[in-house]
Amino acid sequence: SLEVSQYCCMTAPQYLNTSSNWCLDPSFSTLGSEPWRQQVLSVFLPCSATDVPPEVLRHREAKWLEMLNDWDKWMSKRHKKVGLKLRCQKGIPPSLRGRAWLYLSGGKVKREQNQTSQSGDPKWLDVIEKDLHRQFPFHEMFMARGGHGQQDLLRVLKAYTLYRPEEGYCQAQAPIAAVLLMHMPAEDAFWTLVQICEKYLPGYYSEAIQLDGEILFALLKRVSPVAHRHLKKHKLDAVLYMTEWFMCAFSRTLPWASVLRVWDMFFSEGVKIIFRVGLVLLKCMLGSQEKLKACQGQYETMELLRAIEPRYMQEAFLIRELAVSERDIEKEHLSQLHHWKETRGELHCKSPPRMHGAQAIMAAEPHSHQDLQQKPTIVVEERTASSSPAQGGEGGGSRNSNRAHKEKKSRKSSASPTEKANANPSLDNHSYINQPELLLRDTPLQGSNQTLSSTEHDTYL
Amino acid sequence: MAYAYLFKYIIIGDTGVGKSCLLLQFTDKRFQPVHDLTIGVEFGARMITIDGKQIKLQIWDTAGQESFRSITRSYYRGAAGALLVYDITRRDTFNHLTTWLEDARQHSNSNMVIMLIGNKSDLESRREVKKEEGEAFAREHGLIFMETSAKTASNVEEAFINTAKEIYEKIQEGVFDINNEANGIKIGPQHAATNSSLAGGQGGQQAGGGCC
Repeated sequence: SLEVSQYCCMTAPQYLNTSSNWCLDPSFSTLGSEPWRQQVLSVFLPCSATDVPPEVLRHREAKWLEMLNDWDKWMSKRHKKVGLKLRCQKGIPPSLRGRAWLYLSGGKVKREQNQTSQSGDPKWLDVIEKDLHRQFPFHEMFMARGGHGQQDLLRVLKAYTLYRPEEGYCQAQAPIAAVLLMHMPAEDAFWTLVQICEKYLPGYYSEAIQLDGEILFALLKRVSPVAHRHLKKHKLDAVLYMTEWFMCAFSRTLPWASVLRVWDMFFSEGVKIIFRVGLVLLKCMLGSQEKLKACQGQYETMELLRAIEPRYMQEAFLIRELAVSERDIEKEHLSQLHHWKETRGELHCKSPPRMHGAQAIMAAEPHSHQDLQQKPTIVVEERTASSSPAQGGEGGGSRNSNRAHKEKKSRKSSASPTEKANANPSLDNHSYINQPELLLRDTPLQGSNQTLSSTEHDTYL
Repeated sequence: MAYAYLFKYIIIGDTGVGKSCLLLQFTDKRFQPVHDLTIGVEFGARMITIDGKQIKLQIWDTAGQESFRSITRSYYRGAAGALLVYDITRRDTFNHLTTWLEDARQHSNSNMVIMLIGNKSDLESRREVKKEEGEAFAREHGLIFMETSAKTASNVEEAFINTAKEIYEKIQEGVFDINNEANGIKIGPQHAATNSSLAGGQGGQQAGGGCC
């Protein structure tokens, strides 16, 4: 259908990661990980994507900056919206990924609308605290008990329970929040999480995931009748294999480069991306009689789906043409909802309607012309004073300069894989921080007390 | 690998009680203090020997949080054994046992063998639930009981194997219909063809067909 042509015209090179990225891949472990995770890792390394030539990347960064700076205009022009979708498919430049996700999801708008701080009874705190060390435990950012990554995670998840006390905390929100925190400061991560929970995957963290399981299964019948028949024969409920996939938006399933690529598209186009990936994986792993010979049984099938062949999880492969449109999903949604009501009664949770991507969200909650305002946590004193880059941030007055410096250092070391890999070691911190600005306006930061918002800090460093 | 029987287990209980660690200790003989939170389901398998017979255990490890409860119910189906786990250092995980038990009984077959496990027995200094309380709860509800430590591996083998023994005995007593896969038991491919003596009590005439 329509979708196909868009995928076909994607240009190479499509990869953003460099071969040195793997060291911060969350699935990487020096401490020994579960066998299946290790499996994923060992086969993932050699195929960890070709480089985008620096000039291409710079060009893309400039385009993205231009877009982000004029977001409301971009999103209101039809031909430009198509361009945006295509750019997300190519992959968002790592340096701007956090900001782009925040904008695409409408998290920025949400944040502007909700300036007041929430307070309430943090009854979920206990549960959340128990989970903090169980999110990407081998990722540098979340490794240290009580480290800044875990602290931020606590803040984000706790904030959600205060924001939606009737929902509270679902454990599957934690990996989502963790991935967001790898790309943006806590406040942005929170509002983006809100958007995911309310617009992209509404009701997932209660009952709706099961309904989507039924939808996925129904769509599979069309995509791969063989796989469909096999799963049916062995009574493998969709929730058995798709819960982690969908609830975590594949962040714990795919190799890291693919996770980012899928998320870029997910923010732009919505849940259909998740359905597509799910269908591709099911079709590839269970779609032929030869493959099924070896897995006669529920358990064996689950094992197979847990050990997905690496070639099927590569970025380029995953986003190849598989025409499942919003309409298909919505249609199937209605029919499964009907079936659900007949067999199981009313859904307990009344979730808001799902929004299929950035455009729909933008239409519902228009973007302001306002620039991204951040409370600066890092203040750069002098452009030339490279020996002591950080001086006392504000952060509610509780941070002294020492702390700010430390935070900056640790943040830097925990930058997400792609960001880190793209940092040019030959540049000192400042010129690197300023680099994207230079690209656009070619004017360096001037004077003292020039502040870097935490977003800039996080995404550029 | 050839086996005489295959038993399906599930592990249930509150979040953070050590379900995944018990599974890993049993299947891989290692303790991993740092691991990903279970979302949805994990699983593992291991061969054990009972009464000279090879028995394969297929173990499904579930997410413990309340919000996964409706999903977890899909796992109950077709389980022959369940390990119901609480954390001896957290009273609330013990208090929730009744709910877990009701859920398990409601969604599984009535013959499912349930082993109650008080985990983290290595943390004696932080103990909040006395061993006697666990024993009393088990007695009252007709469960087998053990305290284990996934960290030190204490009693972990025993917990899984004793559950299997109980199931095995039930098979011999003819309580389980081993030809109905919904009971979480499967006769091994070779065994089914050559040895029908055990299957004899229960529909042994069909034992040959029990390989799929």
